[in-house]
Amino acid sequence: MAAENVRVGYGEKIILSELSLEIRRGEITALVGPNGSGKSTLLKGMARLLKLHSGTVFLEGEELTKMANSEIARRLAVLPQAPTAPAGLTVGELVEQGRYPHAGPMRMLRKQDHEAIGRALELTGTLEFANRPLENLSGGERQRAWIALTLAQATPVLFLDEPTTFLDIGHQLEVLELVGQLNREQGMTIVMVLHDLNQAAQYAHRMVVLRKGSIVADGAPAEVMTGEVLEKVFNIKAHIVTDPASGRPVFLPYAVVKNEEVGRGQ
Amino acid sequence: MSLSTGVAPEKPFAEKIPANPLARRFLPLLVACLLAIVVLLILYIGLGTVSLSPGEVIAALVNQPVETFHRQIVWDLRFPRGLVAILVGAMLGLAGAILQTITRNPLASPDLTGVSAGAVLASVLGIAFIPPLAAGGPALPFVALAGGVVVGATVYFLSRQGRSDPLRLALNGILLGAILNSGSSIVLIFDQERAANIVLWLIGSLNGRVWSHFNTLWPWALVGIPLALGCAGLANTLNLGDDVATGLGQNVERARAGLFFIAVLLASSAVAIVGAIGFIGLIGPHISRRLVGDDARRLLPMSAVVTALLLLLSDFIVQAITKGSLPVGAITALLGAPFFLYLIFRRVKA
Repeated sequence: MAAENVRVGYGEKIILSELSLEIRRGEITALVGPNGSGKSTLLKGMARLLKLHSGTVFLEGEELTKMANSEIARRLAVLPQAPTAPAGLTVGELVEQGRYPHAGPMRMLRKQDHEAIGRALELTGTLEFANRPLENLSGGERQRAWIALTLAQATPVLFLDEPTTFLDIGHQLEVLELVGQLNREQGMTIVMVLHDLNQAAQYAHRMVVLRKGSIVADGAPAEVMTGEVLEKVFNIKAHIVTDPASGRPVFLPYAVVKNEEVGRGQ
Repeated sequence: MSLSTGVAPEKPFAEKIPANPLARRFLPLLVACLLAIVVLLILYIGLGTVSLSPGEVIAALVNQPVETFHRQIVWDLRFPRGLVAILVGAMLGLAGAILQTITRNPLASPDLTGVSAGAVLASVLGIAFIPPLAAGGPALPFVALAGGVVVGATVYFLSRQGRSDPLRLALNGILLGAILNSGSSIVLIFDQERAANIVLWLIGSLNGRVWSHFNTLWPWALVGIPLALGCAGLANTLNLGDDVATGLGQNVERARAGLFFIAVLLASSAVAIVGAIGFIGLIGPHISRRLVGDDARRLLPMSAVVTALLLLLSDFIVQAITKGSLPVGAITALLGAPFFLYLIFRRVKA
């Protein structure tokens, strides 16, 4: 999957211009960056949730704009940030809708559809509360139900826009563990926007750092999580240490870079 | 099927999904409501200045020998009126359920989105200025549909600017509806001859609805109802928000416009026949939601049946208490307005 010279924005306001990015199959790619850097915009543009002003997105070599919307939905699933459903909808009913792009004549669910739904519920650990309405679930359970919806789509590629927002730390890790497991066991290609750099460094194979609509760093977490990048992109000074268990970099911020300091050359 | 390979297959995932209790009770509830409609219809036909026992009603309906006079009352007056009530109820309930689903707004319904008022004004103008468009004539629903589409679309687009707020849609709809209704009232002042008829229309009435009305209405129901029920899956995806629906392969704008048109078609043709019977298209779907949940594949058919029952019951009450002197729209408003307020207060509290 690749984006070539894309220009995307909201209405007339252009957020990203002439940006290119290639997503590698079988990897977890994390898009990170400060607020307003365009990380969510890039994800939405690549997932055709935002219309491109110019440029092209390719999915398995095919131009996205030339594919039928339902054909895209069979290859690429996307979970937007903080999605909402009718309060009384049950988890099972929500997940069933992931089969919409696969539905046959009369939109009836067939055997393979029920199989995919059951599998999505099992993988996300939501089978036991399939009949509970979404409003009665905890934040983490609800987010797992939404991920189950995208899994029922049975696509090789999954896009997640800030899947951990509004969740407490335990539930955040629960969701990220699930993402890691889907990548390892199902071989899914995953692209996600994340706010937390340490979580991105821990779970992603590749981090793409955006700032003001451009990619400023791109590579394995150990290459990208450097003092220099953090200072340039987030205006913070931080110690970078390596987690002895995972070998992944972790940053410990200790100061904000003030503009005058930069000016005085301190 | 029994091509055993010797390896015990893992239990299929599909078999692990627990059965949905809401789905399990859907069919029994639907059948119960349909039966209730039949029973109520028989009691309803028996009600009036000449009251008939259920036995007499059934005898007249199945063409058993009965007094000619009774047969005339049943077949020429009360039965068609009851059928119009059932059909109109189903159409308004379905329209309300669709509007609530595609706008993701629990306060949406034909009357609260201005669709009814638009259809009424277009019909009233049509009758006043185009003489061939007699009330209840076969061409009238087309005129009403045009009015419903224009006003409904206006309210929808007005309410979509900026952050969409459920209350905003209802406010815009009520405001525009009030303006349009005063327009209808002005026509009424200039057309004294038909004034009484037009007033009844603003409120919504089943008085004097006979076979000619039913015959104008049923083709619209025959097209609109199956179309609406067939789009339940589509409505479901729209109910998850634009981004999720797009992700599921939906062409969101086109799907919403199509469903909106179906809802307006159902509501406008019903309004062309009986006038703007209020609140019924709001209450019916809400009761149905309580019964069978939010999944449109069950909610839509249930709303049609529950609202049909509700309208028949309302007209039954009107007939029983006021001997038919009050229009049915008066009682649905009387019962519906407090319910509407309750919905708003519940929202404000949440």
